[in-house]
Amino acid sequence: MKKKNILLEILVLFLGGLALYTFTTNDAFLYRQPLLKISAVKNGKTRVTKDEFNNHDKQTIQKVTGYILNGTDRGKKYTFNNTYTESGGMDQHLYAGQQVFVNVYQQRDQTSVSIITFKRDTYLAMLLWLMACLLFIVMQVKGLRTIGSVILNFVLFLFVVQLDVNWNFTSFFGIFAVSALIFTVLTLVLILGWNKQCLVTLSAIIIGTATALGLCVLVMWITKDKGMHYEALDFATQQPKQLFLSSSLIGLLGTVMDAATDIVSTLFEMKRRQPQVSFKRLYFSGRKVGNSIMGPLINVLLLIFFAETITLAILYFRTGNSIGYTFSWTMSLGLVQALISGIGITLVIPSASFLAAITLGRMEK
Amino acid sequence: MTTITGLTIVLAVLMILSGGRRGAVSFISLLLNFTLLFLTVILIAGGLPILTVTFLSAICILAITIYLGNNEETETNVAFLATLAVLGIMVLLVVPLDHLAQIQGFSNEESEEIEAFNLAIGVNFEAIVITTTLLSTLGAIAEAAIAIASGMTEIIRQTGDHGDEELRKSGRNIGFQIMGMTFNTLFFGMFGGNLALFILLYKLHASFGYYLNSKIFVSELFVVIYSAIAVILVIWITIEFMILKAHKIYDRK
Repeated sequence: MKKKNILLEILVLFLGGLALYTFTTNDAFLYRQPLLKISAVKNGKTRVTKDEFNNHDKQTIQKVTGYILNGTDRGKKYTFNNTYTESGGMDQHLYAGQQVFVNVYQQRDQTSVSIITFKRDTYLAMLLWLMACLLFIVMQVKGLRTIGSVILNFVLFLFVVQLDVNWNFTSFFGIFAVSALIFTVLTLVLILGWNKQCLVTLSAIIIGTATALGLCVLVMWITKDKGMHYEALDFATQQPKQLFLSSSLIGLLGTVMDAATDIVSTLFEMKRRQPQVSFKRLYFSGRKVGNSIMGPLINVLLLIFFAETITLAILYFRTGNSIGYTFSWTMSLGLVQALISGIGITLVIPSASFLAAITLGRMEK
Repeated sequence: MTTITGLTIVLAVLMILSGGRRGAVSFISLLLNFTLLFLTVILIAGGLPILTVTFLSAICILAITIYLGNNEETETNVAFLATLAVLGIMVLLVVPLDHLAQIQGFSNEESEEIEAFNLAIGVNFEAIVITTTLLSTLGAIAEAAIAIASGMTEIIRQTGDHGDEELRKSGRNIGFQIMGMTFNTLFFGMFGGNLALFILLYKLHASFGYYLNSKIFVSELFVVIYSAIAVILVIWITIEFMILKAHKIYDRK
């Protein structure tokens, strides 16, 4: 009976994925932007290129033919040229069967098209589906609730961004600081429920985050922001330093939340299994768990922030820039964010251990 | 003194204050990891085979992260094996999917930043995006593995044997809360890091369809989802490995 259920579950998950795939490959009618399906590609001659830093590459021009899948131009055939390089930094090799979004425009007396972006929603949907299936298999329905909290946070995040743009404050850091607090409360309540454990974790997080951010701003003030190229911040449309601090705060909050929850949840679990445990033992167990996750957790941030800079750093290196120059213009801001988060983690370990131990220690009396 | 130096010193002092010798070792492991990452970038830029370099440095980073910060042999061995297994699975998933989704290189939004560069630099950007993805998931899986392994070891030590099912339940309890939090760390880390991009996209009045298809947005989402998948896998595998290990510990007693 049980085996049959599992087989049925797997079948449902698989069929669901198949349905999703079929739908997303045929969802052209949902888009207002013209979508073009490539029916034939003819590759032209390949040309070898070489730049002043002795980088060799190959460039090919393709003659691409396709037809529009949606809108008023539906079924209309277009032919256009696409240039791609072998390394594919910003261009891409097109194949028959792929779908791309295009702009249709008038050129002299004939219409032609230019590519806006490749259609990626199918792959995004498949990956999301895979994640949902895995969550369901490992954690059952409970697991899907975690996704719920992430999605809720994301929607809130977009809402806050919208507020920020619309209000257009000069000191917009406040908006993000307040919303960071709301994110934390919501996430904790969703994952832990509204209980003592949640309150303990929340207080530890607030203490940890506030001290860490204060300390870092103090260090920045003492060192007079030396070596900080805020102007290297990508896509900055507002005051760069505040923008940087806002994004650091959001990153910091995530890790501090992680560390605090790890510690507090382990201590509560200990209490559940062994009700007679003492304050001292709880406190030291908390510190121990904290110290063992400290290194790996700071590492998470180091890797996330560093990985994002790799592509740009390689471009800098390949075009004859020195190590020092590349470091300070592509990596230093990310590194500072990782450092700020690290400082937050070290500060939250004692506060979380202490708060959890004193709460649970009192309960036994 | 530059700000980076200042913050690094503050972090080092705090880590040593909090963890003593162990804190110092953790700090050294961070420095080593940073050096390794930097070296990886230099080697790739130098033209060495990208995926080989990535794979080797990934294994080194996992080993440094897990072994250097922790002296408990039981939990570290379990965590390391579990992360290696997940790294293998992730390679099989990332390589074909990144090729299909074409998220390599730079997006149109970044064109202003890189307009001074000629992009035909003879480097396989598709392999680089695989490097980026694998490296950014490593931290999360190492962290989740070590958190579960150390949490479960602590419980085994404090409360003794209560059977596999009870242990698995405890593991899942910890795993569930860790997973939720790790998702948020990843989410806050990545979207916090891309705050400026979101503000820009909102100002440009990007449509919903744009979010689902544009290179910049899809590639960011891909990294978050890959990390989430890797974390779910590593929780599962670590709990099962830990239960196997627990049998051996009890037998010895």
